[in-house]
Amino acid sequence: MARHTLLIANRGEIAMRILRACVTLGHDFVCVYTTADAQSGHVRLARELGGPDRLFRINSYQDPSEILAVADASQATAVHPGYGFFAEDFRFARRVVERQRPLIFIGPSWTLVRDLGDKINTKRIARAHSVPTIPGSDRPIYDEMEAVELAQTIFAFQQDQGIAEGCVLVKASAGGGGMGIEEVYDLDKFRSVYRRIRNYAKRNLSDEGVLIEQRIFDFNHLEVQVLAERGGKNAVHLGTRNCSVQSLGRQKRIEVAPGFDPASLTYAFDAAGVLDAITRHSVNMSLQVGYDNVGTWEWIVTPRGEPFLMEVNTRIQVENGVSGVTSRIQGRADGADGVDVIAEQIRLGLGEPLGYTQQNVSTTGVGIEYRILAEDPLDRFTPCLGRIEAFGWVAEPWLQVFTQVPTLQLGDEPYEIPMDFDPNLALGIVWGQSLDEARARGVEFLGGLVLQGTDTRGEPLRTNVDFLKNRTQTLLHF
Amino acid sequence: MLNVKEMLEELNASPYEEIEIRTPHTGVVEFVGLAPGDRVNGPSGKWLERPGTLLANLTREKNKKPICATQKGQVMDIRAELEGRFVEAGERLLTIRHFLSKEEVLGRILKKALHLFCAPERAKYYFVPEIDAKIKAGGEQSVKVREGLDMFIVSRMKRETPLSYSGPEGIIYAVYFQQGDNVDGGQPLIGVCPESQLTLIQDVVSRVQGEWEERD
Repeated sequence: MARHTLLIANRGEIAMRILRACVTLGHDFVCVYTTADAQSGHVRLARELGGPDRLFRINSYQDPSEILAVADASQATAVHPGYGFFAEDFRFARRVVERQRPLIFIGPSWTLVRDLGDKINTKRIARAHSVPTIPGSDRPIYDEMEAVELAQTIFAFQQDQGIAEGCVLVKASAGGGGMGIEEVYDLDKFRSVYRRIRNYAKRNLSDEGVLIEQRIFDFNHLEVQVLAERGGKNAVHLGTRNCSVQSLGRQKRIEVAPGFDPASLTYAFDAAGVLDAITRHSVNMSLQVGYDNVGTWEWIVTPRGEPFLMEVNTRIQVENGVSGVTSRIQGRADGADGVDVIAEQIRLGLGEPLGYTQQNVSTTGVGIEYRILAEDPLDRFTPCLGRIEAFGWVAEPWLQVFTQVPTLQLGDEPYEIPMDFDPNLALGIVWGQSLDEARARGVEFLGGLVLQGTDTRGEPLRTNVDFLKNRTQTLLHF
Repeated sequence: MLNVKEMLEELNASPYEEIEIRTPHTGVVEFVGLAPGDRVNGPSGKWLERPGTLLANLTREKNKKPICATQKGQVMDIRAELEGRFVEAGERLLTIRHFLSKEEVLGRILKKALHLFCAPERAKYYFVPEIDAKIKAGGEQSVKVREGLDMFIVSRMKRETPLSYSGPEGIIYAVYFQQGDNVDGGQPLIGVCPESQLTLIQDVVSRVQGEWEERD
């Protein structure tokens, strides 16, 4: 395979994982960073593995011209967007591949990013391919009167169903990552919420379109990790993940693979059947739309075991590692850490064939991913800014930690948490033969984690470590 | 009590500021032949629609971006070694020594005279839509503020929370931030003038107008 130079158009731990995958696959890399990120791990790692020539300071990660200018100056041949920023921006993906000096976009074709990037369009596509979706609008609503009428209909429908406390979900149609979503329990308050979400969408997403649908309570949030090769003719899945432990802002905090564990837990429905149905629907839809890279099909499963497709993420996700750690590909020399999904994404993005079928893929054990953040779960998960003074963990063969924060001891130069980005500090992925073993290891990892710092007000830095520990005991219960 | 005379003397002792001109983004630098000691002009026109003196060009993705003087002044030093090179964002190109104008001196003194409502923490700040609309329609001095009034939206790490004004009742005399830009904790957002002090402020304005000599 030809040697490529990948420009990593991202930061933090994902940039570090892409960087390591490049080295594993024998490709060169170029990293970008902003002034606020000069201390970040990806800058240190790029300097360590490639030297200062592989690093370029830019004014913003969100300026496409910056990324492409650096790509040209460094003679990069491909761009990896990571997650966030340009990962789901079809205009950027198009610009990368259709310029005078075309580059390879490590992600799906821009037309797929466009078509599946919009939740409502995805809903229409899914319905066209007989994939079950959540009851509600299947096009963006721009008119307030129409929105109110739709909300009235959904509240009336829930009343007919005997649901004591009806609820409507108002979402920015172009939003994601848990942002721009609110629940409405009272029709009288609908207008103000609708206007707030519309204003948020207008300000942050440049599209006022709002999606209104029934809020399904007590659901589980499952995902299917799909890998598909260029051309879209072959696709496999790497099993399911359960992402039901979330913050109040609907941002994921713990992910578990597989999505349910019928071997050790009892469910009120056929959990194995649900997992089978969502993987089947996801791969079939991927093949039908010609999906051609790594992607995630996100599902809601109701307490009665009804799965509804929520959206498709046309990118690598934060939680890809937990699917990787529980997957094995027959005949491949994947290590104890399982499949490196990012390396697979790069390989597929550069046009290599998948090289295996679903029959060659197996899943083993249980993986748990913890997202460690500087936030206060007791205060609505409010982000906490400040500096980290001590940071470290006990290395174990069943543990992977991805972080941009340097290992620190008290007395070392502290690490300032940059305020321009999510306060993600680290991802810890544990693996066990069974759910019980994985949970025990999770608690052991979190218990041995050293994380101390001071916030901007001079008080101890608040983190979500205790929250993660407490929620470990009830993982996958439904 | 504000000692305007003392403040003017202090400013007179060092009546300029040094402005570093840095690259706004990556690109290839091409200077336009200025030398140390050359005088340059800042942007002009009613809406500052005429750019300042051209200092250099920065070419990125075949787009040539002119880098112009942001203030009137004198070129102090030029990093000629960057000529024709691809540079990173934030690279210093040259420095301009800018002599303070009456308005700038007035702004500095007013910061000491007005009640400053400061950013409680580093974040992006926006006026709430109602206040924003009033300022756009009638200018900043058309808005009256009082304790507890919801004035700002604080956007931090992609989460937005409201922020109420605290301080004396009065009118917004000056706005010190650009909506959407990061503001450090402790930096002033607005300067509020209580109505009882409007006369004092007018006096400060007229003294600066009369006593400050512009050198450039």
